[in-house]
Amino acid sequence: MAAIAMRRGLGRSALALVIGIYTIYTAAPFLWLATMSVRTTNEISLDHYAWPHPFHWEQFRIAWVDSDFATYFWNSTVVVVGAVAVVTLVGAAAAHALARYRFPGNRLIYGILFSSIIFPPQITLISLYQILVDYDLYNSLFGLMLVYISLQLPLTIYLLESFFARIPQDLFDAAKMDGYGDLEIFIRIVLPLGMPAIATTLILNFIQLWNEFLFAVVLITDPEKRTLPIGIRAFMGDHFQDIGMIATGVMISVVPVILAYVFFSEKLIRGMTAGAIK
Amino acid sequence: MSQAVDGNEAAAARGTGAPSARSMADPRRTSWPILLIFLVPALVVYGAMTAYPAFRTIWDSFFTIDGSDVSFVGLSNYRDLMSDETFWIAVRNTAIWSFVAPILDVATGLLLAVALYAGVPFARFLRVAWFTPVLLSYVVVAILWMWIYNYDWGIVNLALRAVGLGSLASSWLGSPNLALGALIVTHAWKWAGFNMVVCLAAIHSLPGEVLEAAELDNCGWGAKLRWIIVPMLRPTLLNLYILAFIGKMKIFDLVWIMTGGGPLWATETVSTYVYKRAFNWNSFDLGYPSAIATVWFCVVCAAVVTLNRLLRSTERLEY
Amino acid sequence: MGLRNFGRLAVLIAAVAGLAGTARAADATQITMWSNWPDEPAKKQWVADRVHEFEAADKQCAVKLNFIPKADIYTQAKSAVRTGQAPDIFYMEPDEPEFMTGGFLEPLDSYIDMAGVEDWAKPAWTLKGKLYGLPVEAYTVELYYNKDLVKQVGIDVPASFQMSQSGFADLVRKGAAAGITPIAEGVGDRPFPGGLVLFEALLRKLGSDDYAKLLNGQLSFKDPRVVEVMTWDKGLIDAGAYPKSFSTLKLGESHFYFYNTPGALTFPDPSWFTGRAFAAPESGGMPAKFPLGIMQFPAMDGGKCPECKTLAIGGSFVIYSKSKNKECAGALLKSMATVENGTKWMEQVSLQTGVKSDSSKIKSVHAAYFTELNERDKGAKFFFGTPLLYYRGKCAETYAQVMNNAFPAGLLSIAEAADKMDAACLKS
Repeated sequence: MAAIAMRRGLGRSALALVIGIYTIYTAAPFLWLATMSVRTTNEISLDHYAWPHPFHWEQFRIAWVDSDFATYFWNSTVVVVGAVAVVTLVGAAAAHALARYRFPGNRLIYGILFSSIIFPPQITLISLYQILVDYDLYNSLFGLMLVYISLQLPLTIYLLESFFARIPQDLFDAAKMDGYGDLEIFIRIVLPLGMPAIATTLILNFIQLWNEFLFAVVLITDPEKRTLPIGIRAFMGDHFQDIGMIATGVMISVVPVILAYVFFSEKLIRGMTAGAIK
Repeated sequence: MSQAVDGNEAAAARGTGAPSARSMADPRRTSWPILLIFLVPALVVYGAMTAYPAFRTIWDSFFTIDGSDVSFVGLSNYRDLMSDETFWIAVRNTAIWSFVAPILDVATGLLLAVALYAGVPFARFLRVAWFTPVLLSYVVVAILWMWIYNYDWGIVNLALRAVGLGSLASSWLGSPNLALGALIVTHAWKWAGFNMVVCLAAIHSLPGEVLEAAELDNCGWGAKLRWIIVPMLRPTLLNLYILAFIGKMKIFDLVWIMTGGGPLWATETVSTYVYKRAFNWNSFDLGYPSAIATVWFCVVCAAVVTLNRLLRSTERLEY
Repeated sequence: MGLRNFGRLAVLIAAVAGLAGTARAADATQITMWSNWPDEPAKKQWVADRVHEFEAADKQCAVKLNFIPKADIYTQAKSAVRTGQAPDIFYMEPDEPEFMTGGFLEPLDSYIDMAGVEDWAKPAWTLKGKLYGLPVEAYTVELYYNKDLVKQVGIDVPASFQMSQSGFADLVRKGAAAGITPIAEGVGDRPFPGGLVLFEALLRKLGSDDYAKLLNGQLSFKDPRVVEVMTWDKGLIDAGAYPKSFSTLKLGESHFYFYNTPGALTFPDPSWFTGRAFAAPESGGMPAKFPLGIMQFPAMDGGKCPECKTLAIGGSFVIYSKSKNKECAGALLKSMATVENGTKWMEQVSLQTGVKSDSSKIKSVHAAYFTELNERDKGAKFFFGTPLLYYRGKCAETYAQVMNNAFPAGLLSIAEAADKMDAACLKS
């Protein structure tokens, strides 16, 4: 018994060590970035790892006001929140239909929708550009939002379909017996039960679109409509990389996302632990 | 509930000639209008924004575009592709990345999720800390890791020199042998947290009784992992693997910013090569890069289908 | 369901935002202009000043001016011209001739005063006898050096400011022995700096005509003269001429490396060096009392043209051929191409220009630098264009990977590098 306990004890400390090292490995670069966000580039060039002294909080003001980050932040929020909301809803509906119902062409439609993940965006960029021009949506936030919806749809359907398929059929049988219509089943049973997967998809889509760069740089040319990733690029000039301001810009871009994640992940965990409702 | 009864009758009436008994007997079948309501929005988005670029790409691959002249060249782009040395180097690099890295990603994610599930202290903080890299954009990750790999003052070389292993200090991104590995490490750093979250969600949705029973049988976590968690999580792990696989087959941003495909094409991937041909090749020709994209599309599709067939269990696990 | 309403609201917000962003047409014709140099205050100021002066003088035209980093301009321009959405005026360099040949640019002959452009600046933008770009930025390739450090390692720079082949090799050896990096250079984010020493040496060895043949793919890299120069260059590389972080050091960092920390003996750079060096030291500029010197690239033994020098055109402005406001755009470029503005460019930016200028009227705080630069350029025989202005497609890519990066980094032998370059560039 003592041997087992000691093995458990050793195992536990080894585990703690590994977890500790891994946490440093994951979090340290980000913390380093945070310290750089309140130092000027000059200070950073002289000593890359020093603690900020003094704390240059005005860099945040410079970024927010002088470099228009307030505008970029708003643009990013509008485009990304809109796109994520729509794609989650549309994707969930399609995923439910594909997962739950048998009909001719089910696997074909699934295959078509899924396969579009694979096309490299560098090529589809030009054609999408042409489409937006034809619909007169070029250089507009709405057009960018539509593009983002189409970008994330295959992934959303893929993730949700596999999760929805695992919901036990008995639930549906019982609901049908109780006389629920298909739409009601979707809204009252599938969506609540699928919350963990939906939340995960939501988080993933949000992150990918919040940081999306290639389409934003090509499809938006008005400075007032730029999104955050492009705003940060302004500090990465040809001649002079303003490292301090890049770090500040990144912090502005990332901290709200982290806060949103912390908030939503609580719901996610609650959803997960309550998810095994029968 | 009168509403439900109405709904049923209505559904029966709408059904394509199916009697109400049949629609009640097979809940996996439903009427066309309902199906359309679910599917049409997605299909409209696909049709309007994804189908045209996809078909246009395949169409373009049979042409050569020179400024405003478009000339049909048949399979000539494809023939050139087969003898294109850079393309094959890119394929090799992407293949290494796509088959090796997902194993690392999914394994790490699973282990982290198990650690959190088993109840390490500060679980909430760790969950956020381990997920933070996922939230950073590729541009930021690239910049951070370029600084970390910096030859003169990057933390990796500084640490190596501090412990006396200075001879191992190298130009991580500048050496053809090390660059690809360095990029793989960076990419894994970014995505481990995502796999962890998905695995965690999946573990939580496992029926508690099974794991409790294992606990009673005095199973250590190693055994639990091997005999219970992995088999029951198989669909999730497979999905994550395929997702990671596809992601690596398409990888672009990180490579482009950190090495641009160098040194000496050691990190050239199919996507960076497509971008170079489409934007950097001093020509407006979209035909050749479209050919690359089409070929690669077929390759990835085939690979995904094969992986699915090989690894997926035949029944959908219901419990 | 809350989610659905939220979704609806979000779509509504986005639609309103999209509509609100639609620009309203002004009374004057509005033209859009994309310029580079968002992070180079002197050049940015010059462009902004020209635009303001133009708008004040010509009330019919209003200009919407954006400053965009170069990489993004190219990506945007390449996408935009394919879909008819390019701006009226945009920034371009002569290394993208496909815009000209593809018919996406408007000839400027009927708009600007051709006498306002230097004759040597015209060929870079001339196709079938028409001029397609206004060459604002011009540069020579120079070899800057630190006077104090060079003297410290025991090297005497001759009165002609041009060292011999062996003299330069000696400089490298002495620098390496003293622990000072002989040549500061970094190719982390650029496709050209690593090849500067080699190709400048090739120019001086082969002479203008044969060097042009080399850049046009008509001369093999296995030519004995080329091999001789490459052998000399390899000697420098093996002696430790370049920093260890050469492959990943960025261009901006290499400037800092040269005139700040840790310091180096020489720094080959196009003369736009001043764009960074003359910025304030806190923004990464040269320290006030830095002992900057300019020397010529070393003369090669048996070289045909030791007095040859590379001159090239950099940033220029072009007009989109499908622009709907060519009159205004042409008028703007016409107002830029005057002797007065050329002089202002040289004064404010401390860089050469393809627009005619009057050197006697230049009043600049950097007069001493200009004097030295002019002295080095006196009597020079100019060759127009850098390798990347000639190399295209696969050849350009190979140059960037092999001659710019791998060969100076010591990863390839002479034979391997020559093979790869010939395979990609030699027109057989």
